[in-house]
Amino acid sequence: MKAAPFDHHAPESVADAAALLAEHGDEAKVLAGGQSLLPMLAMRLTRFEHLVDVSRVPELHGITTDGDLRIGASTPQAVAEHDPVVADAVPLVARAIPHIGHFQIRNRGTVGGSIAHADPASELPAVALALDAVLEVAGATGTREIAATDFFEGTWSTALADDEILTGVRFPVWTGRQGAAVREVARRSGDFAIAGVAAAVELDAADRVARVAVGLFGVASTPVRASATEAALTGASVAEATAALADAALAAADGFDAVDDLHATGAYRRRVTTHLVQTALTAAIQEASGVRA
Amino acid sequence: MSDHGIGAGRYVGQAVQRKEDPRLLTGHGRYVDDVTVPRMLHAAFVRSDLAAATIRSIDVSEALALDGVVAVLTGHDLNGIAGSMQPSMNVENSPFPCAPLRPLAVTDVRFVGDPVALVVAESRAVAEDAAELVFVDYEPTPAVATIEAALADGAPLVHPEFGTNVPVDFPMPADPEVEALFASAAHVVEHRIVQHRYNPVPMEPRGVIAGYDNVTGELDVWLSTQGPHEARLTFSRLTGVPEQHVRVRMGDVGGGFGQKFFTGHDEQVVVLAAKHLGRAIKWIEDRRENLLAATHSRSDLADVALALDADGRILAAKFDHVEDAGAFPVGGLGGVGPFVSMLFPGPYRIPKIWWRSRIVCTNTCGRGAYRGPWMFETTAREEILDVAARAVGIDPREIRRINVVADDDQPYNTATGMMFERVTPATTLEHATQVIDYDGFRATQAAAFAEGRLLGIGIGLYIEPTSSPAGSLGVEAAKVRLEPGGSVTVFLGTAAHGQSIETTMAQVVAEHLGVPYEQVAVIQGDTDRTPFGGGTGGSRTAVIAGNATRLAAQRVREKVVEVAAHLLEAAPEDLEVADGRVAVRGTPSRAVTLAEVATAVHNVGGVAVDVPRVLEATGRYETQGMTWSNACHVCTVEVDRVTGQVTIGRYVVSEDCGRMINPMVVEGQVQGGVAQGVGGVLYEHFVYDDDGNPLTTTFLDYLLPTAVEVPRVEIDHVVTDGGNPSGVKGMGEGGAIGSVPAVFNAVADALSLVGATVLDQPLTPLRVVEALEAAGA
Ligand SMILES: Cc1cc2nc3c(=O)[nH]c(=O)nc-3n(C[C@H](O)[C@H](O)[C@H](O)COP(=O)(O)OP(=O)(O)OC[C@H]3O[C@@H](n4cnc5c(N)ncnc54)[C@H](O)[C@@H]3O)c2cc1C
Repeated sequence: MKAAPFDHHAPESVADAAALLAEHGDEAKVLAGGQSLLPMLAMRLTRFEHLVDVSRVPELHGITTDGDLRIGASTPQAVAEHDPVVADAVPLVARAIPHIGHFQIRNRGTVGGSIAHADPASELPAVALALDAVLEVAGATGTREIAATDFFEGTWSTALADDEILTGVRFPVWTGRQGAAVREVARRSGDFAIAGVAAAVELDAADRVARVAVGLFGVASTPVRASATEAALTGASVAEATAALADAALAAADGFDAVDDLHATGAYRRRVTTHLVQTALTAAIQEASGVRA
Repeated sequence: MSDHGIGAGRYVGQAVQRKEDPRLLTGHGRYVDDVTVPRMLHAAFVRSDLAAATIRSIDVSEALALDGVVAVLTGHDLNGIAGSMQPSMNVENSPFPCAPLRPLAVTDVRFVGDPVALVVAESRAVAEDAAELVFVDYEPTPAVATIEAALADGAPLVHPEFGTNVPVDFPMPADPEVEALFASAAHVVEHRIVQHRYNPVPMEPRGVIAGYDNVTGELDVWLSTQGPHEARLTFSRLTGVPEQHVRVRMGDVGGGFGQKFFTGHDEQVVVLAAKHLGRAIKWIEDRRENLLAATHSRSDLADVALALDADGRILAAKFDHVEDAGAFPVGGLGGVGPFVSMLFPGPYRIPKIWWRSRIVCTNTCGRGAYRGPWMFETTAREEILDVAARAVGIDPREIRRINVVADDDQPYNTATGMMFERVTPATTLEHATQVIDYDGFRATQAAAFAEGRLLGIGIGLYIEPTSSPAGSLGVEAAKVRLEPGGSVTVFLGTAAHGQSIETTMAQVVAEHLGVPYEQVAVIQGDTDRTPFGGGTGGSRTAVIAGNATRLAAQRVREKVVEVAAHLLEAAPEDLEVADGRVAVRGTPSRAVTLAEVATAVHNVGGVAVDVPRVLEATGRYETQGMTWSNACHVCTVEVDRVTGQVTIGRYVVSEDCGRMINPMVVEGQVQGGVAQGVGGVLYEHFVYDDDGNPLTTTFLDYLLPTAVEVPRVEIDHVVTDGGNPSGVKGMGEGGAIGSVPAVFNAVADALSLVGATVLDQPLTPLRVVEALEAAGA
């Protein structure tokens, strides 16, 4: 399990990184924390002549709030996990990260790497999708923004061009009373989810559901937004939402082409998704309305 | 100090600190990959990616042209110069046919992972680069990936040399008495029980460094192994280098679990290549190779039937067993065949039994030993017993109480010809169920069920054959030497790879020679320094090596006493040895230290000429038949009705391994074995598709339990003398045996609350959910 030979580049700026990508075309690949890319290289499932290591580019690090919560792409997952700013501004992000693998992986793996890698079983892509995050991208010819809805195209495939770098992710900050919960079923602790749900709820002054975000992961070829579930609950009072939860959760399980694999069937994924949506939303609604679970 | 009986001694029976711990716990263990020898090359295998195919051609030219590549060897280079590849002096005489082993496939491949070429290069990375440039032109042929496929009429043959896929078929003649008992029984239960394929998965994969010196004719090998002496003989037969010119050494070994008991195919190829090229070669197996091609284990099925009377008393049994040997099993046919059937009655009175044992070959990775290689007897028996209990309408504990072999029944001859004595299955059944509060749990279970929750409890009761009297495996020698400075060295043919032998054998010597534990060092794993031994495996070290060590220590003590008697001018029978001093009994001031004894012996005029001057002795012990130990595992689980996930609650083991040398080590062995059984039932599964393509070749898909999934095991000890001089019994494998049915039965018990049944392992969330759905629950 040794990777085929490659050249390792360690640019110090996004511009240099983008130039390297432009120069080497499809023989180059961005390397961040390496937690997904290195195993694939080692098993020779993929190969690149050039790895452009962005993990130490200073501009790609850091967490700021300025209306949105912005996390630099190369920020290690563990840094975001333990940052009080993240927990305060977008609790769903802080609650999702501990579900990523094991702490050793989160120490190395980056927020941007997780999103750019676009594994459908990953937590952060589903969170980004559910919260309408915006992905900031840079290439040799300039920068652009991609809405999360347009970003995830398939398993390990995104709207990023080969020579583009994900530079950061912006999550909208909700200011009302809110609750957030992540629930997943995995074969063992720390495994990729067979089915998972990231859910957040915001209540308005009248105790009605102002916003609700439900992202599913591990169930289809991309992360899935449970739009029907969200629509069923938006505007409802806490009591109405609670009463409608069971049906709304069933709707979530109908909203995707479930995958079959070694660990579970599509039917299993639907069954479990319904349950997870219900428990995650129950917890989120309770938290938002001040009920201690 | 107690030489006899059950009580603990000064050292024996104490949980002394392990001698291995300081280096292992601080990350200073030395494994094969930590060893570097001069001008060492590195190897990588080119392996078949088809389960069955004819080889049309192999083109190595591009690989050979790559910078840093020294050689690309195929079967044309190696097969003609290879001697026997059977890795044991006993296998050679086995009544079963051995798979047609060859170093590298030339005409055809027989499983995915079958080695076709060996690249030798300046680094492993270059060797892997070159391996990709070896082009093998295959013509795929039909493969058989399962027992059922291998048995089917007209199935393609895995080994045309055998003319059959069933090289062993051992049926008892039809027994009218058994048939009559079944015909008239109040209850008959029948069930096909399947034990799925899972693997030893040592943390350190296999590894070897082999160097051959053309001038001296010496073959020098570092090996990750459980048996360096057998490996040495194997390499000698393989290469033709005389055995006294082969040296095998091992350092620390990161687990073997049976996989490294016999020397594997791939290690042999590397040794042969080193001899052929006259260069030292290192090969460290990577994880994918280990999962794909090291050895696989379990993979059994049986049609099992029990006839019972109205109260649940077993009248007769039928056990029709098939064992999957894969393509190239390691160590004979890899498994244990008829031994599984012979052990099937286990700790129960089963008056009559009919059995049949078959071994089949499939186009899959070869079977190899794995902690309790025969364990399917326990899986099958304990699972069918729970099925029977439900059919009769009694509790699973009750059916065991009714049928268990009691102390009074012993010595007890099973209907399959095993003779059990000094075992305590009835006692351990009672203890384990008491510790877990079996009755209390039934009440808790009922209350939880009233709330809709599914809790279950399961029992696994078994008798473990240890220190088998099989050929060279039944004998061990130990050498103990009092060094000139007064410390003591023990030389053993054992090969510790997690069993704490440096600790336990030092305890035995400290006890029986009368020296402080700290002054004793144990040397193993170097064929130039240690006496021949069968290696560590088969739960043989404590009984066989332990008694040999005890004898050697006693003999050295006798010599020490003889010298001291001269020095102290006392009668030998008046002397006692303790704490490294020999003193006149009752007059402690009249004493000499062992160092003084050694000094006297090693200097001119130190002692009278007629006193023996060699403070060294060898003990040999030959096992007197099988030593049986036994245990009862009980565990509780909760099954999540929505997700099908199983959570283990409490886990209790009551075990009887005779007199314990070190209870901490015993408990560590139990805990580790349970981890593997829990893994087997709930997580681990090596999966092939119908064409023999492996689907679980990384840890992403082959799931080992982690510290989070493995329960803390509560252990109760029952101590019955083992019937040998030191009173011990082997126990290294049982943890991995009893745990399988205990966990399985607990889940089945929980599911039975809603009328759901599970048939097969592993009990994945999916399988549990499907069982619940099938029962409409
Ligand atoms: C044992 C194990 C368990 C895991 N469990 C989980 C889990 O439960 N949930 C989960 O979400 N993940 C899990 N992971 C994956 C882990 O979270 C990875 O860290 C993450 O998927 C990728 O982040 P990285 O920084 O390591 O990226 P890398 O591995 O370096 O790169 C991954 C991919 O993203 C691309 N990429 C990275 N950064 C950028 C960028 N800035 N711009 C453009 N492209 C970029 C790379 O080119 C590559 O294709 C697990 C990993 C392991 C080894």
